[in-house]
Amino acid sequence: MTSQSQIDFAAAKSELAAVAQKSGALVSGVADADAFDAAPEGRRPADILPKAKSVFVIGGAPPRAGDWQSPNYQHMEVTSTGDRMQTLALKMARIIEDRFAYYAVCVPAGVDLGQQPFMSIGMAADLAGCGSKSLAGPVLHSEYGFMYYGAIITTMPLPGDKPLDPAACPAPECVRMYAAEGTTPCVDTCPAKAGGCLDGKIEDGRFTDRQYDAARCATRVQNYWVPGFQKVLGATLQEPDADKQKMMLFSSMFSRTLWSMTYSNISQGQCAECMRVCPVGQDYRTKK
Amino acid sequence: MNANETESRTQQIKQFALDAGADVVGIADPRAWDEHVPEGHRPYDILPGAQSVVVVGSRGPTSGAWRSPNHRVIEVNGYDFRNDAAIHRVADMIELEFDHQAIQAPGLPTGGHLPPLSMMLSAVLAGLGTRSLAANIILNPKYGLLYYSACITTLEFEYDSMLKQDVCPHHMCIQSYHRFGKTPCMAACPSDEGGCLDGAIDADGHIEYSYYDRERCVSRAMNFGINSFQKALAQIVAEENTERQSAMIHSDFFSRSCSAITHYKESVAQCFECMRVCPIGRSERKLQ
Repeated sequence: MTSQSQIDFAAAKSELAAVAQKSGALVSGVADADAFDAAPEGRRPADILPKAKSVFVIGGAPPRAGDWQSPNYQHMEVTSTGDRMQTLALKMARIIEDRFAYYAVCVPAGVDLGQQPFMSIGMAADLAGCGSKSLAGPVLHSEYGFMYYGAIITTMPLPGDKPLDPAACPAPECVRMYAAEGTTPCVDTCPAKAGGCLDGKIEDGRFTDRQYDAARCATRVQNYWVPGFQKVLGATLQEPDADKQKMMLFSSMFSRTLWSMTYSNISQGQCAECMRVCPVGQDYRTKK
Repeated sequence: MNANETESRTQQIKQFALDAGADVVGIADPRAWDEHVPEGHRPYDILPGAQSVVVVGSRGPTSGAWRSPNHRVIEVNGYDFRNDAAIHRVADMIELEFDHQAIQAPGLPTGGHLPPLSMMLSAVLAGLGTRSLAANIILNPKYGLLYYSACITTLEFEYDSMLKQDVCPHHMCIQSYHRFGKTPCMAACPSDEGGCLDGAIDADGHIEYSYYDRERCVSRAMNFGINSFQKALAQIVAEENTERQSAMIHSDFFSRSCSAITHYKESVAQCFECMRVCPIGRSERKLQ
């Protein structure tokens, strides 16, 4: 354990970044704990860890180039690797405490009351310069595109980073497409006006008037997870015909729902179409 | 078997376990179980020819997580299964490097609520801790609450002695008991006021008797998990009003119960109050 009077916080930040990178993170950064003004009360770093000074953010484990190439879209539904960043975040919290003797809490990936996140990890990634908000929804990194994030709140006063400038979204290709066609690849693939989830404009090279139908998206992205289970359970219980009810219980839909729940680490999302067409990070996921 | 070889091998496996993520490691003689458990629950009932049981312990919540004013943070963020990961690496090493059989000891219930091998007893017999007044939780003298895993092997190691001095009660708790009639844990959850714990400390400062209402504790420590899922499901199935049934299925309570099952490794317990007030290991949790 390092004595606190001896700590060079810039060097400590570099050391933590090196550990994160060695353990599988593609990016890391630090957000100032006081910068979460846009978060509701109760969902800010100091609400989770009193006297919080910094939020250390890691990002990585995106789907591989080969995953995006598979013609079997269901392949990616059951091979997500998002759990790796949460595991690494837990490890990083422990390292901050053991190595530097400052308090650290890994922001839970799960949800709090009312299905609300404890703290927006996306906002933390944005503030730490590990990515920026996108028209499609996920935080995107300029080089790597879509990836998974983890965040650690700590009382350690690490030097903060700044949000990405320019933002990763919209990509130049999307700005050009919008000027020519009035839409972007992500909006075009899932347009809210035609039964999809997304809408928005691009003005002065920035996206505005973003619309995202979260409820509709959930019914498509989480066909086979907890929401799917609840839906099938309700339908099954209300089925008066015993034979039909039994058939529903043993159906492929219900079986997949249970698989998805028991293997929740690797099967929570079943739609990645807005990300599939996103040009941000396209070079990174282009291989021979 | 050469005694020097055994000693050297013992040091090697212990250091390996610590490097693999364990915070503590101890080794017990499989015959030590004979006087404590019935047939079928001894190490050599699970692995014939067992010569040693290697036990590792790892801390659960970070010190920062203990400090969070949002108690739900620790509910879904308490445990990273490092002990399981470490014990698998220990078992791998024994089989690959020492050419002896090694298995992870089964610590989850396989019939009723009893595990084939008790991790609590394993920790005690390996000299890693002693039973406490707080729900019989095994407390380590340095860290307090730890999570344990064990590896049963046919390879002989040097055995550790059981701790000669009880970890619980702490001297502060003895003073508290003699002054107020309760220890911090008993005061936090007194059985005579609807809680789970009671006990007495004799004149020599030892536990004279302890009482733990396990059923009541389960109903509080596992609000969201298999138990609550089963409870809610029984109520949902019995509900005759279809609208009300649908509301119950999509309620926050049932959603969280489903989520707790799917994210079992992040959400196995929702009450840490007896441990929160325990002075044992507190110095290890005090940071900046």
